[in-house]
Amino acid sequence: MIDMLEFWRQSLPQLLTGYRLSLLVTGASLFLGIPLGLLLALSLQTRSTWLKLPSLSVVEIGRGASILVLLQFVYFGMPSVGLTFSSFASVTIAFTWCTAAYTSEIIRAGLESVPQGQREAGEALGMTRLDILRIVILPQGLPVSVPALLGFSILMLQASSLAFVVALPELMSKAQLIGSNTFRYMPLFTLTAILYAAVCIPATIVVGFLERRLSRHF
Amino acid sequence: MMATILSGVTWTIALSLTALAIGIILGGVLCAMRTSGVALLDFAATVLILAFRSVPPIVWLFLIYFGIGSGIVQVSPFQAAAIGLGLITGANMAEIFRGSLKAIHPGQGEAARALSMPPVWRMVDVIIPQLMRISLPSVVSYGIGLLKDTAIASTIGVPEIAFKASHVSQVTFRGLESFAFAGALYILLSVPIALASREIDQRLRARVAK
Amino acid sequence: MPEDDALMHILPSQTSSGSQRVMVEVAGLCKDFGAHRVLDNIHLTVDPGEVIAIIGPSGSGKSTLLRCINLLERPSAGAIRVGDVEIDAFRKITRRELLAFRRPIGMVFQSFNLFPHLSVLRNVSIAQERVLKRSREEADAVSRQLLERVGLGSKADQYPARCSGGQQQRIAIARALALEPELMLFDEPTSALDPELGLEVLNVMQELATAGMTMIVVTHEMHFAESVSNRVIIMADGKIIEEGPSVQVMRSPHSERAKQFLGAVLNR
Ligand SMILES: Nc1ncnc2c1ncn2[C@@H]1O[C@H](COP(=O)(O)OP(=O)(O)OP(=O)(O)O)[C@@H](O)[C@H]1O
Ligand SMILES: [Mg+2]
Repeated sequence: MIDMLEFWRQSLPQLLTGYRLSLLVTGASLFLGIPLGLLLALSLQTRSTWLKLPSLSVVEIGRGASILVLLQFVYFGMPSVGLTFSSFASVTIAFTWCTAAYTSEIIRAGLESVPQGQREAGEALGMTRLDILRIVILPQGLPVSVPALLGFSILMLQASSLAFVVALPELMSKAQLIGSNTFRYMPLFTLTAILYAAVCIPATIVVGFLERRLSRHF
Repeated sequence: MMATILSGVTWTIALSLTALAIGIILGGVLCAMRTSGVALLDFAATVLILAFRSVPPIVWLFLIYFGIGSGIVQVSPFQAAAIGLGLITGANMAEIFRGSLKAIHPGQGEAARALSMPPVWRMVDVIIPQLMRISLPSVVSYGIGLLKDTAIASTIGVPEIAFKASHVSQVTFRGLESFAFAGALYILLSVPIALASREIDQRLRARVAK
Repeated sequence: MPEDDALMHILPSQTSSGSQRVMVEVAGLCKDFGAHRVLDNIHLTVDPGEVIAIIGPSGSGKSTLLRCINLLERPSAGAIRVGDVEIDAFRKITRRELLAFRRPIGMVFQSFNLFPHLSVLRNVSIAQERVLKRSREEADAVSRQLLERVGLGSKADQYPARCSGGQQQRIAIARALALEPELMLFDEPTSALDPELGLEVLNVMQELATAGMTMIVVTHEMHFAESVSNRVIIMADGKIIEEGPSVQVMRSPHSERAKQFLGAVLNR
């Protein structure tokens, strides 16, 4: 037991450096992906086929293909068409894609929760479509999406553990590295699990709290 | 190339179904604990659900495959993946079932009680069939997500679609085609499931409506 | 042919302001939802300063007519002119035309449709800033004045959810008036309210009518229809079945269908 704690103490700094990278790559993907998700949600609502069709493909591929396959496609596949990305860039691209695809659905549901009468009131006041969106729809629709977006963010942090397949030195890679040197997998992955859970459990509790608060408003 | 990747489909499906089966059983148990009204069971289930969901699937797989597997018990990659994914699925199923349980009108249980049905039959005859019907769409859409998550099992060597794609890509240096084909396969596999689910859901609904 | 039809429907009774041009002209208006014809060849003219009440059984197309007049619903056929802007169902309406067309029209909904995330003052100011390009100070000053006028000066900094239904509807009226409309459309403005609260709203509307606003009011308030409006229109099955000076229509309608409807509502 003491032995295990000592092992944890030794591995922790390395794991934490990896964890910082996990959080960074997750943050970058969310930061880029969620605004893209909003754009996709909006272009899926338009009547223009020119916008709708490409957006729909982006969403369906992002949601339909496994995120791991998406990641490998970017990292191992794109070089054959002359696009070579670093592992960090590859993870960010693949995860941004995935984030945009999933959050577009979340955001769409939020925007659709705004009653039709709100849009009509804006129209009757002679506001432009952009103003209605900016002033009436988004301020009411986006807060509805927040709990689900946060829930999705938790899943993305977890998914960042897949980045080790492209050798991004994040938490999981570090754990594997230490593991292959020490062969002490059990305590090592237990610590890794605890590190992920230490962020995800509180976050999940917050999501539940937000959801309950939101449902009370309706 | 395509043939090799296609040969992973069986493994993908087998793994998805096994993990789903484990998940449904585990989820049923966890849900029963959650709604038992016994504080201790409720708390234990809450903690388990939270724990299962708060650790990335890949960490579960490694923990089971390398951690437990390198100890006394031997586990195959498939077993490790099925158990790992099954745990997470179980936690999510418990939440799905609990949500559906809330959707069943409380009058149903009361009606059964008024008919003085014993509790077990109240569950088996009245609650569970309705529960299954209500949760079906969520279970299926979770199942489709699970289908894609099984790709993770490639990292511990289960020879499913993603594993084969990775292999082909290394051998032929044609990563673009391999992974694009694998991605397309996942999409193609989920389409019939989604369609079938909608069909079944509509039929069940129609039957209830009559 | 539709032109002749339209002329036939101009009733001489209320054109007191003689030389002035009619404010609203609806000609041959039809609206289909799928195979269902909800408005069937509607002709209607409204003079400046006129108050028109539209009554009729549920589902007769009253709301749809009102919503067509400010293009919340696109007509399937026919033409509508409000002020100087005319649109035709057979011609594609550009976004700019749409905005120009709606500019002189204010609308009040049955369910108020205030913006719940904005304070009462912002609710009234926001469209002034965006549509009339007023500065925030200007807009707020106008808003406070209007809120005062509908008796809600003290509510300016509250949120709509903290106001009663009657207050919310009066705020909605102030919001529409802030854009200085020439025509106000009301779709059952009091139906969602208790009678007492409805009265607050009706008083504001009556005042507005007295001040010379042109108004089209879909209503179930028979008293309002008879005493405040100049003209009453009864609709049934997507058609105008009776139209004329308020008292005459309410007391001695010609058609059987109108008699039957009025009998049903007045004897309640
Ligand atoms: N968006 C729509 N799609 C399809 N049908 C519609 C739509 N809006 C209205 N209708 C139909 O048009 C008919 C007229 O509706 P409308 O709301 O204009 O009636 P109304 O006279 O205002 O009735 P109420 O007094 O109940 O408000 C109804 O049969 C209604 O079902
Ligand atoms: Mg109506």
